[in-house]
Amino acid sequence: MDRETVMELLKQVHDPELGVNVVDLGLIYELAVEGGRVRVRMTLTTPGCPLHEAIVGGVRRVLERHPGIEEVDVQVVWEPRWTPERLTPAGRERLGFF
Amino acid sequence: MVSRVSRLPFLFFLTGLASFAVFQAWSLADVSAWLAAFSEEPRYPSGWSRAHLFVLGWATMIAMGAVYQLVPVVLQNRQLFSRKLGYAQYAVFATGFAGLVAGFRAADVKTVGLFASVVFAGILLFAFNIGATLIAANAWNSVTAGCAAAVFHLVMAGAAGMLMGLNFAFEWWGAFHDRLLGAHLWFGAAGWFGFLITSFSYKLLPMFHLSHGHPETLQRFVAGFLLTGVWTGALSFLLNAPAWCHWIALSCTAAAFVLYAVHLAQIHRFRHKPMPGAGIRWSRHLAIGIATVTALLVPLSAAFPDAVLGTRMAVIIGWLYLWGWVGGTILAYLSKIIPFLWWTHKYGSRAGREKVPTMAEMIDDRKVNALLSAIVASLFVLVAGFGWNSPLLQTLGGTLLAAGSLFYAGLLAAVFAK
Repeated sequence: MDRETVMELLKQVHDPELGVNVVDLGLIYELAVEGGRVRVRMTLTTPGCPLHEAIVGGVRRVLERHPGIEEVDVQVVWEPRWTPERLTPAGRERLGFF
Repeated sequence: MVSRVSRLPFLFFLTGLASFAVFQAWSLADVSAWLAAFSEEPRYPSGWSRAHLFVLGWATMIAMGAVYQLVPVVLQNRQLFSRKLGYAQYAVFATGFAGLVAGFRAADVKTVGLFASVVFAGILLFAFNIGATLIAANAWNSVTAGCAAAVFHLVMAGAAGMLMGLNFAFEWWGAFHDRLLGAHLWFGAAGWFGFLITSFSYKLLPMFHLSHGHPETLQRFVAGFLLTGVWTGALSFLLNAPAWCHWIALSCTAAAFVLYAVHLAQIHRFRHKPMPGAGIRWSRHLAIGIATVTALLVPLSAAFPDAVLGTRMAVIIGWLYLWGWVGGTILAYLSKIIPFLWWTHKYGSRAGREKVPTMAEMIDDRKVNALLSAIVASLFVLVAGFGWNSPLLQTLGGTLLAAGSLFYAGLLAAVFAK
């Protein structure tokens, strides 16, 4: 299991309101891959996000169902706060960011 | 599988939508007769019955559901003080409002007195549940404080309503009844709905606009002016104060709405998502609308106090405020809230396992925009009918408003089939 594969897996999880995946939204702060163990440190666009469970649960589920991943640890943090500058060019384009 | 978390707000939303459909169908059935009677004298049994079906059965039912949904979210997934109490509160409140609507319709004063007390009991249970949740979380900001202020004013409106209901039954307070009515309207219409819509907008609009870094200072001024306006207005009625006290109440409330509209423009300016959806756009338009109406009323009421305080103008202001701003904003937000609720229910636990739709795919945004436009246009025709005392315009506007609203309710209900 490598970092690029995990990033591609994470791109399958979208914020359903914004229609942008969690990687292009810049929600993934840290990703550590050691053999079959994956540790994700991530945030959401706002604290008290109504989609907290769906998005964080989606990240956990997309990793857990991959046969090459044995252990998943997803940690949600609020510092540093997410800002729109964290959007990738693809995320900006999808959002119509200006 | 319906999740336990969102079942309680669902109950309130579904009951609210059903009440809304009943109100519109009832309006369609005898639109010209009831609107003509209402424009001349809104205080008659069928008018009271319809007003409470609209305000309690629909608007307050939806608002309570929104509080049950949003408060735990704002408190970062903190549980409600008691979900069971929430269900009990729903049962008491729903029984109370249904009995009150039936009592008014039958002009049965004992029934009105009894069920006004049941409604108040339902409100007290709601206030206790939400109050205990907020106090335990101790996470105060403009959203949670505004929500607490809204619920407090709902209790005040309910207390005044219960006293009026008991006065209907037992005639304890005589002419004081009219003073209670004034306070009831200020606490309920401006206090409960005013604080709730403004404070929830501070959470919802930045979220849907993806706004970051906008100033928040005006939120405190909005709350300060609204609080001063509501209490000056309510006490002016209760103490039978001179006309200038009512004018100060109106001026403060108008200042609150103008600053609120300015603040929404600030949030909009700092947005990073250009297309937040028609419902969110309309909530801003409606805020500008109510700010304009209340601001115009300030000089008008100073120049022509008798005209502004007259029955016809009161009916026009009441429709523009309750149907236009409160009702319109609730309808606009429902176009986001209902898809969110249903998506979370049906697809929330599937995200990450399979391809799931986006929220935008749950409801047709063009239809939301078209129907909200039609509803607002119909309301203007109806209000023009009241202003010119034109039965034709009243019937036309009332029919289009009810029909457009029924289509909109159908559009929202169709989300549950996605």
